[in-house]
Amino acid sequence: MAGSKSALVLCMDVGFSMSNSAPGEEPPFELAKKIVQKFVQRQVFAETKDEVALVLFGTDSTENPLHQDDQYQHITIYRHLDVAGFDLLEEIETQVRPESQHADWLDALVVSMDLLRTETKGKKFDRLNIVFLTDLNSPASADNLDAMIDNLKKDGITLQFFLPFPVKDHDKEGGGGGDEDGTGPGHPGTGKGLSKEQKNSLDIMKHIMLNLDEDEGLEEIYTFRNAIEQLNMFKRIERRPMAWPCQMTIGSSLSIRIVGYKAVTEEKLKKIWFTVDAQTNQKDDVKRETVYCLDDDNETEVQKDDIIQGFRYGSDIVPFSKVDQDQMKYKHDGKCFAVLGFAKQSTVRKHLFMGNQVLKVFAGRDDEHAGVALSAVIRALDELKMVAIVRYAYDRRCNPQIGAAFPCIKEDYQCLMYFQMPFTEDLRQFTFPSLENNKKFTPSDTQLSAVDSLIDSMMLVEEDENGEKKDLFKPHHIPNPAFQRHFQCLHHRGVSPDTPLPPIEPWLKAALELPEVISKRCQVPLEEMKKNFPLTEVEKKKKLKTSAQIFGKDADEPDAKKVKGDEEEEEEYNLADIAEGSVTSVGSVAPARDFCTLIRKKSLPFGEVCQQLTHRIEELLKTKNTQYYMKSITCIQAFREQSVKLGEADLYNSYLQSLKRSIPNRKLEVFWDLLVQDALTLISQDEVEGSTVSKSEANQFLVAEEKKEETAAPPPAEDPGDVDDLLDMM
Amino acid sequence: MAEWKAFYHNEDEEEEQEEGEQAEGDYKITGRDSLVFLIDASKEMFIKGEDGQPSNFDMTMQVVRSVYTSKIISSHRDLVALVFYGTEQSKNPRNSFKHVYVYHDLDEPGAKRVQDVDALREAKGAKLAAETMGSGETSLGDALWCCSNLYSDIKLRLSHKRLMIFTCRDEPHGGDSTKDRQARTKASDLKETGVVIDLMHLMKPGGFDVSIFFRDIVSPPEDESELALQLEPCQKMEDLKKRVRAKEQKKRAMARLKLCLGEDLKVAVGIYANAVTTRKPGAIKLYRETNEPVRSKTRTFHTQTGSLLLPSDIKKAQVYGKKKIVMERDEVDAIKKFDDPGLILIGFKPMESLKLHHRVRPSLFLYPEEDQVKGSACLFSALLTKCSERDVFALCRCISRRNLPPRFVALVPQEEEVDEGKVQTIPPGFNVIFLPYADDIRTLDTPQFPSASQTQVDKMKEIVSKLRFKYRSDAFENPVIQQHFRNLEALALDMMAPEDTDDLIMPKVDQIDDRLGPLVQEFKDLVYPSYYNPDSKPAAKRKTANTEGAAEKKPKLEVSEDELKAHVQNGTLGKLTVPVLKEACKQFGVRTTGTKKQELIDALVARLG
Repeated sequence: MAGSKSALVLCMDVGFSMSNSAPGEEPPFELAKKIVQKFVQRQVFAETKDEVALVLFGTDSTENPLHQDDQYQHITIYRHLDVAGFDLLEEIETQVRPESQHADWLDALVVSMDLLRTETKGKKFDRLNIVFLTDLNSPASADNLDAMIDNLKKDGITLQFFLPFPVKDHDKEGGGGGDEDGTGPGHPGTGKGLSKEQKNSLDIMKHIMLNLDEDEGLEEIYTFRNAIEQLNMFKRIERRPMAWPCQMTIGSSLSIRIVGYKAVTEEKLKKIWFTVDAQTNQKDDVKRETVYCLDDDNETEVQKDDIIQGFRYGSDIVPFSKVDQDQMKYKHDGKCFAVLGFAKQSTVRKHLFMGNQVLKVFAGRDDEHAGVALSAVIRALDELKMVAIVRYAYDRRCNPQIGAAFPCIKEDYQCLMYFQMPFTEDLRQFTFPSLENNKKFTPSDTQLSAVDSLIDSMMLVEEDENGEKKDLFKPHHIPNPAFQRHFQCLHHRGVSPDTPLPPIEPWLKAALELPEVISKRCQVPLEEMKKNFPLTEVEKKKKLKTSAQIFGKDADEPDAKKVKGDEEEEEEYNLADIAEGSVTSVGSVAPARDFCTLIRKKSLPFGEVCQQLTHRIEELLKTKNTQYYMKSITCIQAFREQSVKLGEADLYNSYLQSLKRSIPNRKLEVFWDLLVQDALTLISQDEVEGSTVSKSEANQFLVAEEKKEETAAPPPAEDPGDVDDLLDMM
Repeated sequence: MAEWKAFYHNEDEEEEQEEGEQAEGDYKITGRDSLVFLIDASKEMFIKGEDGQPSNFDMTMQVVRSVYTSKIISSHRDLVALVFYGTEQSKNPRNSFKHVYVYHDLDEPGAKRVQDVDALREAKGAKLAAETMGSGETSLGDALWCCSNLYSDIKLRLSHKRLMIFTCRDEPHGGDSTKDRQARTKASDLKETGVVIDLMHLMKPGGFDVSIFFRDIVSPPEDESELALQLEPCQKMEDLKKRVRAKEQKKRAMARLKLCLGEDLKVAVGIYANAVTTRKPGAIKLYRETNEPVRSKTRTFHTQTGSLLLPSDIKKAQVYGKKKIVMERDEVDAIKKFDDPGLILIGFKPMESLKLHHRVRPSLFLYPEEDQVKGSACLFSALLTKCSERDVFALCRCISRRNLPPRFVALVPQEEEVDEGKVQTIPPGFNVIFLPYADDIRTLDTPQFPSASQTQVDKMKEIVSKLRFKYRSDAFENPVIQQHFRNLEALALDMMAPEDTDDLIMPKVDQIDDRLGPLVQEFKDLVYPSYYNPDSKPAAKRKTANTEGAAEKKPKLEVSEDELKAHVQNGTLGKLTVPVLKEACKQFGVRTTGTKKQELIDALVARLG
């Protein structure tokens, strides 16, 4: 069921005049063949149910049911009506070639009509169409023209002509694929002027077309070049818009019958890649299996039946069965388009539109009253510059949304346009530093005017001499390049399986680039911009993070695993590691650690590092607080350890001695006690050869002080307690 | 209809895929975000506001709660801590600090914690706080030190560290300069390790003077402007929430790209997501016995040989036109590649040529990255100024990540806006609007209807004016997500029933009706004829137009007794359709409970056979 289906006859002239071309130009035959190929290609990849037949005329042989004596000669039904497959593409590629006869194109038309009539019998087609590709350069006898036109009309057959030259006529509008590029390079064939036959045929053709459709008949005549441009694109994905009938409600008693359609939505390719075995190309040879296991050392496997589902609630994981979930989940009444209220258009920020579709809402089908009611809503909103804020639910199974319905008034219709708006949970309210208030970034007047002229030169919408706006670049007229490329590659691989993929087609590349006019025009202003805005790439500095990676686990784990692996495991960095990378001096946060790092790194001379450390210790000691004392102790400990390790006792010893002298004066007795507890005494000769302190002296160092403390008050006269002095000694 | 439904049904899935496409970016490598709430628990914080306004403490707790719950919903892996200072009691890891009470150390917020915070709210909360913590001496230096220990005790890698001080006292130490100095030193230590310190100062009689003390404590604002320090103290709950919200989420670039204006003119920019659809998080698979999460491992192997297949043993294929087309895996990726990531300027267009409905994805936000290319901010700023001055947008081709096909985007200038409190409400930069390709636009048959008359329009205008409200994008919570989390909360905390959720996107029908009063009827009288009922089934299905066709289509439901018996005897009942069988059941008074075909057949056979 479902879907409209067409029957198409591609009727292509392969006669000898089709191979003629001006030097440097592609012969019409090649162009026509390309069109046919592209066309079939589109059919194949769009997977339409349309059926296609191919009739060639001007062939050396003759093969058609109407052929009798010298009637209907040189016309070959190459392929009867059928769904287009890859085989047809391959055949066209290899077998359709220019031949050397001439055939009356009207005869070919009759053959095609006959084909359509006989072969569509008993099948249902919504559209019967004949596509003609010819240079019209054969004598045509217009004998039964009127009867033919009648038959065309009777059978409801439509015609399309593709010619190597444009048909000059009263100004045709651009729509529907007519010649938009009047300014472009001349069409091949036009330069030579038309032959008598062509002129004659043209008249006949126009006659037919205008008879079939008085108003728009001539719009169904295309040039090869235009057609190629258009057909280059693989068939645009067309989804039949499906109606969504509903009621727009305002309060409990006002409802308007409406119907919604998706108007804009990001289309995706329907097909997905399946996996095949590389050797056999068979899908069935590959099997994927998912197993579950506990997160323990043995990776104990768990049977599927033993698995229940749960959800995370912050740090908790809550087991929550499907049944319970369905029972408790948010339920609603289904389909709705209910107005919550109305708001000013300006309060609805357009950059916050969510979702990936735009819905157009019209009044219910064939319901004039609804039409009037909705029109009243649309126009009221438009005049007040307001929008309706609505609750929208597609159906019971879909989550409801909040959205804004904008009025949209066009010449020939009115509708509401519905956009989904964010929920509170969706918003990320980031603040960014102001650009204006920052003097460093404020552009000068010259800079601003450079930007000005750049904008001038790169304006894509211009007024032409008639004051009409012309847009040089419309993205919404470009086919999705991803699809085009996808099909191009599939097509290529399909017809020539063993060759590498082709490059992106030039037309597609060109379609994505800025228009030539613009790229020429902007050169000078761009130079000016370059002069005015010096831009310098900043050497990638290793940030804290990155250095953490270097010092952290990354060093011994391969990169790939890092990204994929469970974050939990990977995150066992601590602050210390992170900071380590950037240590350049002894900081106040963890002086002992910094000190050790610096010593290890040997980036600074030992003496200097020690001086930095003692400086920190002195700072710490200024605050009489156990916490700070403890920190100082760790510093001294580190100082001692490192000194012993490096065999440099002097600096440590002299510092400790002077420290000891200053204790009473600075009322640091409590601190000294801690030092004694930890037995942080001088470094003796036993430990470091160069030390001038003997072991007993070292032992005595702390003890003596204790005694002294016990026995007598400190001698106040001595005053070595000044920090500066202490530091000077270093 | 079928198609639409099918399409919609897939939508979730599709969008999910896309989410992956959009949201990944730089996210994964950077580690966890962390946030410490450092809250003043002095007596002043508990003073009730005028007119029964909540106390500063109460307000703060409400904000903390809302941050907790929003973290649970949108970024549950962030770590949050709650610390009070100026308390009587002390509680901290090594109990080395007096008057500092670590209520929650740095961890992922969970249900229990939300409950804890709830307990501190309102009058009972104040009482509880007084009982457990009390108010005592203040040493901000100790408090900060304690917080810095919280950070360093964390074994996880932290990517962003933020500390928010909530207080209403601008002189916490009452002029004790030693303590002031200590606090300053400690604050600068913290800042040195990358902690950003923010002040959420609250109202106090006589005004809060940041310059006395706190100016030296907090981190300098990003843009080095003085603005941030002139902020007014928060008086209202909403303001505070907003201010906290704005700071609480670390902004992360989804991608850092070059905006290429021309050859050799490349500006470094970061792309940010202003709004990302929050989805119900996926279920986690648990082992029934222990409720511990299980890991899944997926293997690909050869059906015949059973041997594991390496990626190189696999190719990808699609079938078109009855032909199987096979490609290498890397070819499949290569097809998608057009160019390296970046934004290429195509040109400029006046704003009016940007159609409202030409957009296919939520928009993103662009801001310069001065630290990647020096000079970026200046050029960006100039471009922004000129674009908004001339009311134009920049059209660009955008490849946001490797191996992604290009899309065209409109860069729409957005100038900075700040509110009365000088809090930025709208940041300066470009909004990136994704434009549709030809494939994305559907051709619709636009039905034509008569336009409404001015009287009708005017009546509707009255209705519209009655139902006017001030729309705020952050005013509507997602009822589906809220319900889901309430459910989880209830289960996690063994509550009897989940807390009720307000469905904020449900129209308040009664209020609307009240407000509109007779207007609705008046409007209906103007647009609808008296016999017309918009709620009835659409009249379009009128059969009159094509009675024949309709009659023909309707299957004959009646079968004669003989026929039926023949079917029963021949065992060919199955040939009849379900509606016919049902009809037959009715006809013969066969009562069936089932609706399945076989059940109907069985019932009929039992009766007639």
